[in-house]
Amino acid sequence: MVFSFIFLPLVIAACLPLIGKISKKLIPDVLTNATLAFLLINSILLIKPIFSRGSLLQNINWFGENVNLQIALDGFNLFMLFTISLVSLCITLFSIDYLKHYGHQANFYALLLVMVAGMNGLVLVPDLFSIYLFLEVAAVASYALVAFGLGPEELEASFKYLMLSVVASAFVLLSITVIFGLTGSLSFQAVARGLQDLNGGLVLGVCLAFFIMGFGLKAALVPFHAWLPDAHPSAPAPISAMLSGLLIKVSGVYALFRIVYSVIGMTPALSKVLMAMGAISIVVAALLALGQADIKRMLAYSSISQVGYIILALAIGTPLGIAGGLFHLFNHAVAKGLLFLNSGSIQHITGTRNLNELGGLGKKVPLTAGTNLVGALSIAGVPPLAGFWSKLIIIIALVQADHFGYALVAILASILTLWYYLLIQRKAFFGPLNDRWQHIKEAPFWMSAANVILALLCLLVGIFFSPIFKTWIAPAADALARGVQQVLMWGI
Amino acid sequence: MIIQILLLSGLVLFSILAILLKDLLKAALSLAVASLFLGIIFFRLGASYAGVFEISVVAGLITVLFALTVALTRKDSEVQEARLTRLVFPLFFVIFLIIDGLVMRSLLQQVPALPAGPETGTFGDVLWKARTFDLVAQLGVILAGVLAVLALFRKKEEDKDE
Repeated sequence: MVFSFIFLPLVIAACLPLIGKISKKLIPDVLTNATLAFLLINSILLIKPIFSRGSLLQNINWFGENVNLQIALDGFNLFMLFTISLVSLCITLFSIDYLKHYGHQANFYALLLVMVAGMNGLVLVPDLFSIYLFLEVAAVASYALVAFGLGPEELEASFKYLMLSVVASAFVLLSITVIFGLTGSLSFQAVARGLQDLNGGLVLGVCLAFFIMGFGLKAALVPFHAWLPDAHPSAPAPISAMLSGLLIKVSGVYALFRIVYSVIGMTPALSKVLMAMGAISIVVAALLALGQADIKRMLAYSSISQVGYIILALAIGTPLGIAGGLFHLFNHAVAKGLLFLNSGSIQHITGTRNLNELGGLGKKVPLTAGTNLVGALSIAGVPPLAGFWSKLIIIIALVQADHFGYALVAILASILTLWYYLLIQRKAFFGPLNDRWQHIKEAPFWMSAANVILALLCLLVGIFFSPIFKTWIAPAADALARGVQQVLMWGI
Repeated sequence: MIIQILLLSGLVLFSILAILLKDLLKAALSLAVASLFLGIIFFRLGASYAGVFEISVVAGLITVLFALTVALTRKDSEVQEARLTRLVFPLFFVIFLIIDGLVMRSLLQQVPALPAGPETGTFGDVLWKARTFDLVAQLGVILAGVLAVLALFRKKEEDKDE
């Protein structure tokens, strides 16, 4: 059942170009959404067994032959699988109507499913080299998806993304090679055990530096963020939502912190470095977002800033800090997915993303305006929305760990975040209606439906924050907080 | 030792040429020679399977694909590069050499190492039994590549809105 997270999207992706020859739209739409709905239900069904057993190490036989197809599942990666499935499903629902603009649905969905399979594989495999390979599966699909529109801007952004991503992968691979040289193994358990027996301080420091550069580039942390403000706005809206909502978190944040906590072990020095990088990202990207006129570019800078919050929180090292980081990861995936999809709706309705050309849209398209407001306020941290609680937990965790300076940075940057999101609201949805938009209509059904579902999630997770946090986020955070011991316990 | 240094120097030299040469065909051939050096290094280090793949696939097959693609390009499709961009690689290479000279030599002498783990055995055992998931991921990469070609080399206006 767990293997379906990798194999099912891959198999469907392989079939879709052929199915696309028979039915160009209906069957690809239904099949893709059904696949992701199945994965979402699958991840929900796994919650009870994983939380009662702690972890699951599964190996399958290939026609009776003993092969090494091994996956490991604990609270942390189940949490990631659920987030990936949920946000991807909303994105593909949105794509049903949005892709009419581009055509070639079958190819688009096939690449999207390969990306999902890559992210699921990265999350599930307990092996350093397999992590690198699944990182590449997701990355190769994402390069093509960024350039899917085939315009000069899209192609240039995709090329820039490809170049910097290859550098990131090279750093990751180099570090994995050195660790293999040190421990003679690649599996999490063997490496974690080997590093405990080995005094490799300096070499391990170099490996960690390479991992931070590599995964930092993937997560677009400042100063490795140059590719993101080009790639994310240029991509079709569903792909911007996938990249900002999921990919930077899975291939950057998840991979880095899984290796740091569960394989190498968090140290105070590493915690300080990551916290400083997180705080710099929060402030620099928030300031850069303020000056943007393109909605998607502003959202892209906002993603860098919010990933900064996640890194800052996860690097604190306390269970509460990790829980706050994971909760913010989920909230940001939902809210940023919503906002990028919403920007796609705005572009679909008006044909522009330039804030200076918009104005007063709220009167004509209240559903798009309302869902945008919910997403914006959630990311800015306004109660009772989900983003408020995750930011509050992060600030409490920082104060509890005596990081008052960082807590102040988090609060002040939150005000900056609110400022630039209110700018979007004022310029796009409030004020007098621009004459050009007198005859606009709401976005088509599935685009609006996806926006509404994600907006409701922002609201409901905020209202039912306490039970969700206790039953879902805290166990995931505990799995990560247990550090190397968690990985050593797998399969026991 | 001298042969090893010569091989490594050749690898670095032809890799640099592959990046710096303006003529695409010469750059592709430089990459092929660099791969040949790397393949020989793999053989000398006892990684004969890696050597075979490096020489046959990277030095051979990929060079043929590059040469075919170059043959399909036209003179007028050349793009002028900004002067600043041309300085990026030499600058980074010099910085890398300085870091390499200052850090890596002393660092490599301090590397402690445990004996190799259970992932040993014949090539077939390692490929099919120990690293099976890597094969799945590589299938994923190939599938993504094929789908990327289908998506990016499509006719733009074909089959919009059935």
